[in-house]
Amino acid sequence: MQLPAYYEFCNSVKTIVGHKALEQIPQSLKAINAQRPMIITDKGVEQAGLIKIVQAAMQKSKLKAAALFDNVPADSDVKVVNEVAKIYRAKKCDSIIAVGGGSVLDTAKGANILVSENATDLLQFVGYGNVKRKLRPFVAVPTTAGTGSEVTSVAVIANHEKNIKMAFGSLFLLPDIAIIDSRMTKTLPPTITAFTGMDALTHAVEAYFCLAKNPLSDTTALAAIQLIAQNLVNVVKKPSDLDGRLALALASNLAGMAFSNSMVGLVHNIGHAIGGVCGVPHGVCMNILLPYGLEYNMHKRSQYIGELLYPLAGEEVYNKTQKKERPLKTVEYIRKLIQDLHDATDGKHPRFLKEVYDRSGKQMIPKEKLPDIAKTAMSDPAQFYNPEDLDYNDYIMVLEAAWEGIPLDRKKIKKG
Amino acid sequence: MNALQYPEIKPKKKLIKRIYIAVMLWVVGRAIQAAAKVDSEVKEEFAKLKDNFLLKMWIWPNGPAMYVGKTKDGKVKYLGWKDKGYKPTLTMTIKSVEAAMLLFTFQEGTAISTARNRLVVDGDLPDACALVRILNIVEVYLLPKIIAKLAVKRYPKWSQMNPFRKHFGRILIYVRAFTF
Repeated sequence: MQLPAYYEFCNSVKTIVGHKALEQIPQSLKAINAQRPMIITDKGVEQAGLIKIVQAAMQKSKLKAAALFDNVPADSDVKVVNEVAKIYRAKKCDSIIAVGGGSVLDTAKGANILVSENATDLLQFVGYGNVKRKLRPFVAVPTTAGTGSEVTSVAVIANHEKNIKMAFGSLFLLPDIAIIDSRMTKTLPPTITAFTGMDALTHAVEAYFCLAKNPLSDTTALAAIQLIAQNLVNVVKKPSDLDGRLALALASNLAGMAFSNSMVGLVHNIGHAIGGVCGVPHGVCMNILLPYGLEYNMHKRSQYIGELLYPLAGEEVYNKTQKKERPLKTVEYIRKLIQDLHDATDGKHPRFLKEVYDRSGKQMIPKEKLPDIAKTAMSDPAQFYNPEDLDYNDYIMVLEAAWEGIPLDRKKIKKG
Repeated sequence: MNALQYPEIKPKKKLIKRIYIAVMLWVVGRAIQAAAKVDSEVKEEFAKLKDNFLLKMWIWPNGPAMYVGKTKDGKVKYLGWKDKGYKPTLTMTIKSVEAAMLLFTFQEGTAISTARNRLVVDGDLPDACALVRILNIVEVYLLPKIIAKLAVKRYPKWSQMNPFRKHFGRILIYVRAFTF
């Protein structure tokens, strides 16, 4: 285990995990002195009947939400944040319960900044460390097993009028409580389960081999990888497996803890750019790019990449594989996992960039967009934490291989 | 017990280290200005930054500091170490004198310093990415290979920076940085 000369780790979120964990909401709110919570969610979660489960869990203790906002869009927006804050104030709420995926949780974090700071303009809090004091009580209930937003200290909110994305980072953005209940992810379709699971796996893997790794984030990352390797394909094949669902939701939480402390690298760097240029869902990009991120950095991080074989493939495979072969075997195992998910979803889970289609069947990442993606990636700060440096030509090399679905020619990777 | 009997304990000022860091900041600031004239890649990176770009690099909480910005005619200029009411668009804060020593004695590169949360950036992140690329090039010009390899993630190979560009550029940058 690497012991860096210096590192930092923070996770102050009380995490409640279980098949009926939501039943703890009333007690948990009481413990943080909250009586009039506002529920924030999106239409999809509401229509899936998940809010009814949350409300039923609250009503057993005669606790009622003071307000419900169920109109968070797929991409969090500053206008919506302002609207949520307005309702919160009008209904005299004193806390927030955010039920949803990354967009809902980010919107709720943004609204919590406004109501806690009694502010009207989110812009003054943009950047890292500009939220400087404790916010109002905040409970996060994730409904996907991928983002890990319930344990991260960041939020990204778009201003669509100005066409910018505002990033906020502060330890005060960490929720007070995260409730992980298997019922919340039970209705996720297999394709979404597959790519959100791969998103969580990418968080854990990058946290384990990138520059800010540390013993505390390593522990959570390894546990997350093992849980995903043991459960993801099974749950995609059998969505009603509640134990498997709970394991994946916990893995997402652990991976969130890992990457919010040790950050991410190349896979997220390029993934953010593809999302920005072509509008491809984040998890889909992570899934495709993960093997390439490992291959690109292998000459610098072979030890750590080799160690990942143990939680991924298990003790027997790890012991049978010679030490020098373990890094390549790790990549091979991840490629096999992607192929298994592709097969389990009848080909709907994409393996390469050229296989990503939208609902109308249109290819989302045309090859001629790769230069734009490479240019955008050069402005993404995730590159700071990647072990090997990247210039424009390196981005193009990785993108072309990931588009075609061929392994990286590691002889072409520039070494300093 | 009379608390007034006890002297106030003040932190040591670490004068020698501060002087060393101030000199290094001056050298880096002047070298950035010189590199923006000499090296086409640095020139290109600065051209993409907005017109009012102004960098403040400083040691928390009391300095030293250095300011580099673009002038009205688009030239890159080292603006000194004194705050003359500047409004930086990008602030790079090194969290302590000790963290700055690690960075400026090249025991830790910019990337590791960032990863260990000793160096924090406030401002537009694309600008920060461009500035890190500029700093990397400047370090390759200023330092001998054996030291520069510690400071940057990947020392450029011949194909990325041929010896003519490197050595000729190095001479020009040193001359421009140390002459007024």
